[in-house]
Amino acid sequence: MAEMQFGLMMRAQFPAEEDMQQRFAELKEQARTANKLGYASLTNGMHYSSAPFQDFQQMPFLSRIMAEAPDLRINFGIILLSLPKPLDVAECLATVDVLSGGKVIFGAALGYREVEFLAFGTSQKERVLRFEENLEAIKRLWTEDSVDMKASHFELKGASCSLKPLQKPHPPIWIGANADPAIERAARLGDCWYVNPHNRIDTIIRQTELYRRALDACGKPFPDEFPARREVFVAESRDKAMELCKPFLKKKYAAYHEWGQDKAMPEGDDDLGLDFDDLVRDRFLIGSPDEVAEQMIDLNKKTGINHLIMSVQWPGMPQNMVLDVINTLAEDVFPKVRQG
Amino acid sequence: MQFGVMQRGVFPQGEDMRARFGELMEQARLMETLGYDSITKGSHYSTYPMHEMMQLPYLSRVMAEAPSLRLNAGIVLLALQKPLDIAEQFATMDLMSGGRMIFGCALGYRDVEYKGFGVPRGAGRKRFEENLEAVKRLWTGEPVTMTGSHFELDGARISVPLVQKPHPPIWVGANADPAIVRAARLGDCWYVNPHQRLDTLERQLVLYKRTLDEESKPFPAEFPIRREVFCAPTHEEAVRIAGPALKSMYEAYEEWGQDKVMPEGDNDISMRYAELAKGRFIVGSPDEVAEEMLHYHRVLGVNHIIMSVQGTGLPQSQTLETLELIATEVFPRVRQGM
Repeated sequence: MAEMQFGLMMRAQFPAEEDMQQRFAELKEQARTANKLGYASLTNGMHYSSAPFQDFQQMPFLSRIMAEAPDLRINFGIILLSLPKPLDVAECLATVDVLSGGKVIFGAALGYREVEFLAFGTSQKERVLRFEENLEAIKRLWTEDSVDMKASHFELKGASCSLKPLQKPHPPIWIGANADPAIERAARLGDCWYVNPHNRIDTIIRQTELYRRALDACGKPFPDEFPARREVFVAESRDKAMELCKPFLKKKYAAYHEWGQDKAMPEGDDDLGLDFDDLVRDRFLIGSPDEVAEQMIDLNKKTGINHLIMSVQWPGMPQNMVLDVINTLAEDVFPKVRQG
Repeated sequence: MQFGVMQRGVFPQGEDMRARFGELMEQARLMETLGYDSITKGSHYSTYPMHEMMQLPYLSRVMAEAPSLRLNAGIVLLALQKPLDIAEQFATMDLMSGGRMIFGCALGYRDVEYKGFGVPRGAGRKRFEENLEAVKRLWTGEPVTMTGSHFELDGARISVPLVQKPHPPIWVGANADPAIVRAARLGDCWYVNPHQRLDTLERQLVLYKRTLDEESKPFPAEFPIRREVFCAPTHEEAVRIAGPALKSMYEAYEEWGQDKVMPEGDNDISMRYAELAKGRFIVGSPDEVAEEMLHYHRVLGVNHIIMSVQGTGLPQSQTLETLELIATEVFPRVRQGM
């Protein structure tokens, strides 16, 4: 196995009443800490109109935060790729790839919220077509000097990417997927499937088999890098960890349930409105350092996942708790996982 | 008078863009220490045969090097975009920069960009106006419901509040007369373009003022202009460094069709350089440059000069020297003269 990489997901969502300039200063401190402690990557997600939370926009946020963490890979995880125009995405990501010294990861997924589809003049119905067209166009803009392509919502006529990405042939393309058909699409179109944070681990084990079969069908090898997003929390004991993270994590998943995230999940594992203890079980990585290391090693053995993108902060969680977890993970968990 | 620098961020094919980026960051740090007021980055897509860095990622990154400077997205090609995207990105940038964003916007004119964004050519003006209205409404921070021709806001709301209240200044770029009327009607100010001669601008200023009167809007407190500035210790040296850079740049503009949107009588930018420079570019020794800036101030009332000082191919050492020369020799002369 390739050595496990540990990434920090900065969800960067905060309750409505909080002072976001203060929170931004804290996020920069988290980024500097992660850089110092040998984390491998920084991730930020993407949503628009994100009430009831406040949220930073991904492209400017990651472009700014990378100045604090020059050694870390910068993961756009994920871009809601059915919404934008491919020329815009290709050019912006190429710029960030050059500015970061070739550290960009391009995460892409469909999206599911009506308020976002409407605001971008599209619909749920068009999302698969636009996603596939956009991805094809972006790859071509990154690798060809002049692109001609007519699609349902744009036309490239002798278009070029003003700046080519530093990474060749292009930054890794990670496709986020929850549902089975989306996983087949990830196998077909991406450099890897970017495993979501929501599905239970037994679901992911089943879907990894599906993913392998889909790769075989396309004649593609299993990817060297196999990333997964997970909610992670560590304290001196499992009871203590559960007690500390519960109020924040519970509220975040209530909001996902409200937004309809679980409608995009596979049958039998499509309810994020469960009681907290049932929600956590076999889904999130929570416990003492030994227990969390064990869970990570187990996940790697059963699935091959070797880049863990960890969210350790949910809306309302104070900075000192976050820094504690970032530190404890690096000092007490990463070495155990690497040994294991 | 405020002094800003346009970091065009445009370089020929084959250049090491990572190295050029490092140089641009060095320029930004120098501007911070020399007391410049703003950094501007423009926006174009598909810029072959030139390389260009994208505006919003660039400005987001450069703010880390120059925390005191205002950041001017000058301009955003607003007809191409979706308003929720722009409103949200600017809100995040205004927050991260501590309230230093300027929102420049204009229509754009290149086919490759309109097609690339799926915008029919005839729809540009309508989309620009709808988008600007939607962005302003979203910037109130309240939920917005609005149906445009190419988007629908259904109780949409920006995700972070703006630091600047009620919103970042809206500078509307305009070349042609109808665009100047639009700038008066819709913007906080007209952002005077880099291409036109001073005599044309004088005429257009009358139109701008008349339209402001009709709209019962006062003349803006801040009135910005973009100009190419070539300043060197002597006149001869300034002319020498300006020549080749401007020639190649304006040939590229002409190829893109920029001259098509300029008014009749001032739309042949392929003229020989010497003729072209007159009343259009600011070239000379610090004394001459300061005098010329004061002239612009007296004739037009402009009080924020956004200078492009790095023509294509100008080496980094020369750009740094120019930045320093302007700050130490030109700023004080202009401020004394006002």
